[in-house]
Amino acid sequence: MKQLTIDVGGTFTDCLVLEESGQLQRFKASTTPDDPTLGFFAAVGKAAKHYGQTLEQFLADVEQIVHGTTLGTNILITERGAKVGMITTKGFRDIVEMRRGIRNLHGSMFDMFIEPYQPLVPRRLVRGVEERTLYTGKMLTPLNESELREQARRLLDEGCNAIAICFLHSYANGDNERKAKQIVQQMSPDTYVTASHEILPVFREFERFSTAVISAYIGPAITRYARKLQSGLKERGCKGRLLMMLANGLVQVVDQCVDRAVYLLNSGPAAAPYGASYLGGLHGKNNLLSVDMGGTSFDVCVVKEGEIPSTSDSWVGEHRVAIKMVDVPTVGAGGGSLAWIDSLGLLRVGPQSAGADPGPAAYGKGEEASVTDADLVLGYIPADYFLGGDVKLDVERSHQAVARVGSKLHMNASQTALVMNTTINTVMANLITEVCTKKGHDVRDFTLVAGGGAGGIHAAAIAKQLSIPTVIVPRVAALMSAFGMFAMNLGLEYARSCARRQDKLDFAEISGLYEDMRRQARDDFASIGIAESQLAYKPSVEMRYVGQFHEVEIDMPAEDLNADNLKALLQNFHTQYEKLFTYNMPWRSAEFLTYRLKVTSASRPIQTAVLSGAGTNVETARRGSRMCVFDGDAKPIETPAYDWDRMAPGHKLTGPALIDDKTTTVLVVPGFRCEVDAYHNLLLRAQ
Amino acid sequence: MSNIDPMTLSTIWYAFQSLCREMRSVMTRTSQSYLISTLRDLSVGVWLADGSTVAVPEGLPSQFLGTSFAISDIREMYKDNLHPGDVILTNDPFHGGHNSHLPDWGYIRPVFYEGELLFFTLVRGHMMDTGGSFPGGYFANAYDIIAEGLNIPPLKVIKRGVVEVKIDTDAMIATSKFAENRIVDLLRRYGKDTVLASIHQMLDRTERAVRAEIAALPDGTYSGESSSDDDGTVLDEVVHVRVDVTIKGDEITLDFSRSDPQRPGFINCVYASTYARAAAAVIVYMDPALADFHNEGSLRPINVIAPLGNVTNCKYPATVGACPISIGGQILESVVEAMSKARPDRSIASWGKHRGDYTFAVDPRTGERYVRTTFDYDGSAGAVWGHDGMTGPTTITTLGSVQRGSIEEAEIRFPWRMVKFETRPNFNGHGRWRGGGGIDWRAVNEGSDGRMSSGSSDGDVVQGKGAQGGQRVPRARTFVLRGDQKIRVKPHRMTEIKNGDVVVKLSPGGGGVGDPWQRPVEKVVTDVLNEKITPDVARMVYGVVVDPVSLKVDEAATAKLRSSPPSQRYEAVINEETLDIEMKPSDEQLEKAQ
Repeated sequence: MKQLTIDVGGTFTDCLVLEESGQLQRFKASTTPDDPTLGFFAAVGKAAKHYGQTLEQFLADVEQIVHGTTLGTNILITERGAKVGMITTKGFRDIVEMRRGIRNLHGSMFDMFIEPYQPLVPRRLVRGVEERTLYTGKMLTPLNESELREQARRLLDEGCNAIAICFLHSYANGDNERKAKQIVQQMSPDTYVTASHEILPVFREFERFSTAVISAYIGPAITRYARKLQSGLKERGCKGRLLMMLANGLVQVVDQCVDRAVYLLNSGPAAAPYGASYLGGLHGKNNLLSVDMGGTSFDVCVVKEGEIPSTSDSWVGEHRVAIKMVDVPTVGAGGGSLAWIDSLGLLRVGPQSAGADPGPAAYGKGEEASVTDADLVLGYIPADYFLGGDVKLDVERSHQAVARVGSKLHMNASQTALVMNTTINTVMANLITEVCTKKGHDVRDFTLVAGGGAGGIHAAAIAKQLSIPTVIVPRVAALMSAFGMFAMNLGLEYARSCARRQDKLDFAEISGLYEDMRRQARDDFASIGIAESQLAYKPSVEMRYVGQFHEVEIDMPAEDLNADNLKALLQNFHTQYEKLFTYNMPWRSAEFLTYRLKVTSASRPIQTAVLSGAGTNVETARRGSRMCVFDGDAKPIETPAYDWDRMAPGHKLTGPALIDDKTTTVLVVPGFRCEVDAYHNLLLRAQ
Repeated sequence: MSNIDPMTLSTIWYAFQSLCREMRSVMTRTSQSYLISTLRDLSVGVWLADGSTVAVPEGLPSQFLGTSFAISDIREMYKDNLHPGDVILTNDPFHGGHNSHLPDWGYIRPVFYEGELLFFTLVRGHMMDTGGSFPGGYFANAYDIIAEGLNIPPLKVIKRGVVEVKIDTDAMIATSKFAENRIVDLLRRYGKDTVLASIHQMLDRTERAVRAEIAALPDGTYSGESSSDDDGTVLDEVVHVRVDVTIKGDEITLDFSRSDPQRPGFINCVYASTYARAAAAVIVYMDPALADFHNEGSLRPINVIAPLGNVTNCKYPATVGACPISIGGQILESVVEAMSKARPDRSIASWGKHRGDYTFAVDPRTGERYVRTTFDYDGSAGAVWGHDGMTGPTTITTLGSVQRGSIEEAEIRFPWRMVKFETRPNFNGHGRWRGGGGIDWRAVNEGSDGRMSSGSSDGDVVQGKGAQGGQRVPRARTFVLRGDQKIRVKPHRMTEIKNGDVVVKLSPGGGGVGDPWQRPVEKVVTDVLNEKITPDVARMVYGVVVDPVSLKVDEAATAKLRSSPPSQRYEAVINEETLDIEMKPSDEQLEKAQ
């Protein structure tokens, strides 16, 4: 039977089919923002057609679909979510609106002219009720149920279709939140109700409340979509399992994730690093920079020793999301990024993007110069074979757009295009450096895995700038997230906060927390038909030195601590701490704060088929040549172009060269050579 | 080297900017100071060997914009005796430190490349305590600066990489080491000449852009005045800061000569501290698109005059403990007032004042002593032209670069339980754009008896101004509730705190910009719906008639009311009996909007 992954992005819906033989087939359809299930089934339809089957015949032979979607992120960014009401502890009504400071961490201190933060829940829909739990978990004031009913009624009468219940210290004792949720659900069974401790049972109220509100905000739409997809698949005869890709790099059945909708943020981009990790593994590389350059954004993930990193410090737009997410920092750099001149007279590119509409000038609608236009002017992109010829590009229009920008700097179009190209490469290279060095790594020790439709053009130049020796451009580069979803495990994460110093640890208490988390995991997995014997557990703890305010996550040697393994754990903490921050303080006592348990059930291993070796000369794959301009030489150079489909393992090329495909183009810059590996990926190396 | 290609130029430029952000992130993640790690009361930056400012993207103006003075003194003191691996610590405002007050410890590191001194880095953060009679360094009534705490003139704590003086501030030293590594990497990659040429080119480009902005302002002299409630020693006597801002061509001169003479109390500023804030207050009026760039080039067209012996340029051994809040904040406010007259379309109103205290007692859960301070009980930001002020505790003295704490985290750490923490309707300056909401902060002491020093607060008497016809900031109040007693706590005082006491801080939101009568009706109605203002304020202050029950606007009555200016203006006043916010007739002379 076949396995499918489907990634609904902003512009395209990508579908990958893994045949039983291990062969991958790639399909792309346009995303349909108003009802993404249309694009979903259009992409599946293309696959069915490829096999000469009807949609129903094709789906009957599918055992599993892993699905990533930007729906949640889009709803949040375009602010088209539910009308959310928030019920909170009386006297603490403005926690979310106040955030932690008047700017989130990205604004400049010298910029005072900023619109104040608009929370997703306006103040009139935030209602306080009498209740109070202490940090110890002791209930100081039980929930005032009649007041709760009164406030909930008010919110429901206002038309709220989602309600977030956010009480202080609910991570330590969720009874009041639970009871409030029950009551609201009884009052209005169709309302989407979420309690903060269910989403993120971790201390720090602003972060937890903000996350719960976001979950409620996207929850109803996510639920509708997931249910519609579920029934659509069923109606079309699909008996396979539908799994949703989550922000934390795990996948989960629909029933388990509709109540925790916030986990569907960043659902696509979180998958790409898993694909990169898999491909790197084929070449024995486990230090990888997984990058994905699409139309508007450039994502980076640093995979060190095969470990996919995660973070709980994320922001989506102006909103704080504190769940653990795969750490994929992003900048506004992509094919659509626009060029402009700043007030210092410097040429800048991005973060503004031409988007899908009007798109780059070359598409025939927009006037402004984008990276795609510059790449076209430089000869890198084939005007006649963009997306396999589906999109015709207007070279003259690009030329004019780029020349307009250049005239302000007294540069001609090709000079300007070159500066735009190197500028956007620098923006991306800087993000890579910043992300990498923040973790204390040297970029030169890494292999770049280049995904995204625009990644192939820019990857080698970025690698050159950063002295990264090797670039892998996967055959599936333009569908990198969809590919990554084949490598996902089914899983869930649990957490319990319990602050104690190392000399005040109560081993029985910790074991109790883990027993509780295990029990919850058993129930959750049993409900989707997965037995306990198939589960793998990974416990960890967030800890810090006494007196500090930020935690480091350390693996637990076991779920039961004792004097001996505690010693080993502490030693590991000191070592990890030094690795992260260049020093440690072993003489100082450590404080344990949040215990975590990651529970996974392994997916079927994937095999990508090994192709037979090259019997032919690489020139048999030649499809022509283009005049290209490169850095350091103003004169255009005749650059050979090859057809990726016709290239075979073992084929070698020396830059400059271009490799075209119906989903992307790869540029081998001068000074680099290229080799086709056994899996039909391209390896680019500095000479 | 004048021909740096644009790509190298921006690469090097952004490398320094991101270096500073990373330094700040290393500090906050590792520090043991609540002020540094949670509240981000810290500043980092990079300077050239001659003290020219290279990169200062995030911090508190007074902590780092005057660092050129410190570098110049250090070079004078140490001459050739500066070496790779040296780290110099100082917190001494008068002797080489040029910082505002003693708790701001700065680690300055010379950065060498191939034997040549090329850069200095600074990591400066607010320590919870720095010796002295009271924890926190906000000691009203200290006789001189020696009584305020430990004075550390520039002192090599690390010599050529060898630790000479062991202090438990490893996070700061690690951060400065990290910065050195990164700068040397950059020099290695691009070469010294290219890096330095790029920096000089960026400074020059920035200078040209800032000069063009200043040149666009109408020439003339614009005045501003702001005052502190008192100096903490001579009580209930207002202290004034006055500035005359003269714009002539592409230069700007800020003259503080008309400010009060130096005071016996602890609110005096040293010159560098005045300079840093005054310069920051000018910089925020430049094109916001320049916000990510400011450097030495931005500072070159700005001249600051403050005569020695003035409260803005005090003589040793004057006490300075409270100057970041009292007088420091006023320096910013007075320049902002003057600049708003010169550039009405970038007007900025005063913000709520810092309402800080340092509370110290024993935590019965551990038996250990603690010192608690935070920014949580400050009011909100003032309005700016085009935008309402942001809601959330903040103070203009930091330009909003600090953060508030977490209730849950604070309750785990300190024996105080929060009773209330939310905004109060009407409790801010109103205007066409209004200030953010005023804040009601209440907590009960579940620990031992102790002391609370309100040294780091201001704003009970003197009110920050609005701009362009926007209202001023209401007055603030702090009370201790003990049984039936209500004890008022003024700024700059020491108060006893008992177990079971409830501390109440009512901290107003910032001032308004523009005439409230001109605020769009729909914005007024939205504020009513969100309970940010009450229907009576909509009518009295904004001229918008909203039915108190249906909350629907009466358009005819509104048009009629708004057809002539209001006969009486009202402002928010705290009723000290009930702690309600009431609207009282205001005697404020509102500026006519330009």
